[in-house]
Amino acid sequence: MSNSYNWPVLPTSDSKLVTIVVDGVEAQVPEGTNLVEALKTIGIETPHFCYHPDLPVAGNCRQCMVETEGPRGMALSIACYTPVRAGMKVATDKSSDKVRTARKAVMEFQLANHPLDCPICDKAGECTLQENYMAADRQPSRMREEIGKRYKGSPDHRHLDSKGQDRGGKHVDLGPAVVLDEERCILCDRCVRFMRDVAGSEQLYIASRGDHSFISTFPDQPLDHEYDLNVTDVCPVGALTGKHFRFQQRVWLLGKTETVDPTDGLGANITVEHHDGHAWRIMPRRNPEVNKSWIANSSRLAYLRLSEDRLTAGLFGRSEVPLAQAVSRLGELVRGARKVALVASGHLTLEDNAALLAWAQILGPRAEVFGGSWLWVGSPDGIARSGDPVPNRNGLKLLGIPDSLDELRARVGEFDVLVVVGNDLWTANASKAASLEKIPERIALSSWSDATVQASTLAIGIRAWAEVRGTMVNVAGRIQLLNAAPILPSPDLEPAWQVLSAAGKLGWTSELDAFRFAQSRIPSLVGLTYRTIGPQGRNLAGAAT
Amino acid sequence: MATLTVTQNFGKGAADISVYRSLGGYASLGPRLFDLSQFELIDLVTRSGLRGRGGAGFPTGMKWSFVPRNTPKPVYLVVNADEGEPGTFKDHVLMLEDPHRLIEGMIACGWALGVRTAYIYVRGEFLKAIETLNAALKQAYEAGILGENILGSGYSLDIYVHRGAGAYICGEETALINSLEGYKGQPRLKPPFPAVSGAWASPTCVNNVETLMALPWILEHGPAAYSALGTPKSGGTKVFSVSGDVKRPGVYEIPLGTPLLEFLESPEWCQGVLGTLKGVIPGGSSSPVLTAEESAKANMDYESLASLKSMLGSGAVIAFNDTRSAVGMLASLTRFYAHESCGQCTPCREGTGYADRILKAIVRGEGRDGDLDTMLDLAANFSYTTICPLAIADAWPIENFIGKFRSEFDALLASNAGHADSRVTSDFRPGAFW
Repeated sequence: MSNSYNWPVLPTSDSKLVTIVVDGVEAQVPEGTNLVEALKTIGIETPHFCYHPDLPVAGNCRQCMVETEGPRGMALSIACYTPVRAGMKVATDKSSDKVRTARKAVMEFQLANHPLDCPICDKAGECTLQENYMAADRQPSRMREEIGKRYKGSPDHRHLDSKGQDRGGKHVDLGPAVVLDEERCILCDRCVRFMRDVAGSEQLYIASRGDHSFISTFPDQPLDHEYDLNVTDVCPVGALTGKHFRFQQRVWLLGKTETVDPTDGLGANITVEHHDGHAWRIMPRRNPEVNKSWIANSSRLAYLRLSEDRLTAGLFGRSEVPLAQAVSRLGELVRGARKVALVASGHLTLEDNAALLAWAQILGPRAEVFGGSWLWVGSPDGIARSGDPVPNRNGLKLLGIPDSLDELRARVGEFDVLVVVGNDLWTANASKAASLEKIPERIALSSWSDATVQASTLAIGIRAWAEVRGTMVNVAGRIQLLNAAPILPSPDLEPAWQVLSAAGKLGWTSELDAFRFAQSRIPSLVGLTYRTIGPQGRNLAGAAT
Repeated sequence: MATLTVTQNFGKGAADISVYRSLGGYASLGPRLFDLSQFELIDLVTRSGLRGRGGAGFPTGMKWSFVPRNTPKPVYLVVNADEGEPGTFKDHVLMLEDPHRLIEGMIACGWALGVRTAYIYVRGEFLKAIETLNAALKQAYEAGILGENILGSGYSLDIYVHRGAGAYICGEETALINSLEGYKGQPRLKPPFPAVSGAWASPTCVNNVETLMALPWILEHGPAAYSALGTPKSGGTKVFSVSGDVKRPGVYEIPLGTPLLEFLESPEWCQGVLGTLKGVIPGGSSSPVLTAEESAKANMDYESLASLKSMLGSGAVIAFNDTRSAVGMLASLTRFYAHESCGQCTPCREGTGYADRILKAIVRGEGRDGDLDTMLDLAANFSYTTICPLAIADAWPIENFIGKFRSEFDALLASNAGHADSRVTSDFRPGAFW
């Protein structure tokens, strides 16, 4: 049983480096970290199943064995639970037959009762068991029919195939989001530890013992938690799968685009995985300083909305018009206005909002920029959500856009044109937004045919969060990069900054022009590029709320 | 009549406190114990040569010395009465016959380590022993021997009986602690060891029933008298539970170093072997089996059995004669270990069951050439690669039964007409994925 206090010690930027001897070669590694992490810093991957950097160490898979020098000479020990001490001697599979034999043996044991059903398994292609088999074993099976496998599964769910053979527990419905195929489970305990030590709600456990043990929820209790889909990520095999992705795509077909969770102010790092012009799933992307390895179910399922109810053309009154026509109409309306209210959005990138500011600058005193959101703000859950549904609220603040929607409401009579960019005011608070309908020309830029679009006189479709490149600043003042996945519902859609640039004749040709404008307004951005922000983001000085 | 240090009250009704006291019980709860400092008491136990009687034979005084002094955390004493090794039944009888001696030993250990709360973790199946212990504890509390300020000494100790849920692995001390805490009984990663961080992350001493029951005698007669009973390296006496093909199976206390055959043949103890002796498992089912020739050379102490590459273990002697099938005996042992593997570490979880299924196929007459080598290979592969020694406890019988009685296994393999067929069957069934 893993002890919940066995959190792994991970290398940090200020870890003290010490010298150890790995396979006879001296190497500098961070002191006190476990050997899996330490060896990774010098480019040696140690195969493992149960170890996970963001979970307590369980040490039960025994795959990561290395030899270390102990009181009785070199002896096998598990790398995930062996801390680095200065001067220690380590032998990996490169130099030690004992390590090779042990890893090969563990591989044989893992596979002894594991079904060979990779062709129909969702995990194939990203399966730790497949990877480690190729790395450590690649030996034919010694198992034969008279000996037989003992497929895992609860006595209640055992499934007989068409030949009458006991195939273990198939397709066990654990709850609203997750399905368990018990016979593929290798009992690494990761899902149990995730629910207990990260989610804080112990909903899974390993029932029974020995090779007849199996993962289970408690009797008559479902697996039902806002973070429960993370167990499908930590599962090293195809035992736990999410209903949303089960049997949807082969994973090796998926292209991956690194971006940021658009549904929450923490900006959990995610990967949008797409194929054939569709987003098929969202996976968490590890960032120790933001979301560790976790994302909430609602963040994970955000991709579903990318293909629902999209606004792919312009709407003039109730009739559809081509986008280009709608954009030029936008320019005419704003230029002809007595006074225009431009509403920025924390749901869009810094670049999109920079374009709005740039246009306001050209329009001078005839335009005023408002910002903010009427969405309800919750509290952080301590895992991967800040509770703030506006992902770029801090970005607006840095750009100097005030939280002023209520002020706009109070002064609504001053304006004859309203431009709302990617900010669904009518859904957030319909009764407050209703007072804005006093403005005669209401123009909405939106990715979806939402309530704001319905309440507008002119609407223009724009790209959604997964289809644009740009930056957002999270609640902790960390600037993070969004990338565009090739999943546009219509090839004509442009990002909001480009629509605004065209309508306002800004002459911008790429999001870098927009970023440069943002840099002119935000001193702490000076010197940064998309490349230096990188996939993990950068903390901006003095930007935390 | 050999000197008895643990079982002298057997058959005398000592489960009742008045009988126990009339036999000299609880005499140590006075100056004899409480005038000793913690250091002096641990030193006394170290000098007595007492070693843990649960199976590993670790020196008791040294184990106690690992428990930190003056910690802000409570120190717990946990008595390991989860006697589950096949063939072992001494602790059960000890608790039934003389529960007050256990309590007296626990008070001594508690005094040495500064324990305020102690637990007796009893195997779930031992219902009668649990009743006996609870009755004895009640009597002891009523007599002021437990609770606040024991007999005016200023020392206080509470003892609770915890009933296990019936798992062999809970005899492993960290699994026992997990089980005691209410978790699943699975061994913990070490370090930290229980002496530093055991039950509820506090210093914890886990001792076997018999170990603690030797303490009253040692306190009465002194460490020199105790160590004089055994061999120079194995001090004192040991309680053995004898089963199998002997005329009088049972629980016997003998001085360490007694020759094995003398023990089996002696009219005072086992009164001889039924039939012709084929072999002996000297220390519980996991200890490597001895052939009849090896048995003739064995003395019942830690060193002699170690020199024969076996071990004294928990002191469960299983003697068997030439009518017993070595294959059948090993099959029941592998079945036991496959059933009792806690399922935590991969090699043990999958390996013990794998080896068991191979042996089952051999017993069914479906064995093939190479199966024994596969079994030996598996046994070697799941030894020393897991958190606790349960896998080794399965590997030793496999290695020794096959190694020492190989002809019986080979004969069974040869009885399968297809024993030389290639490993994978030719009529591979489509649809069967493996």
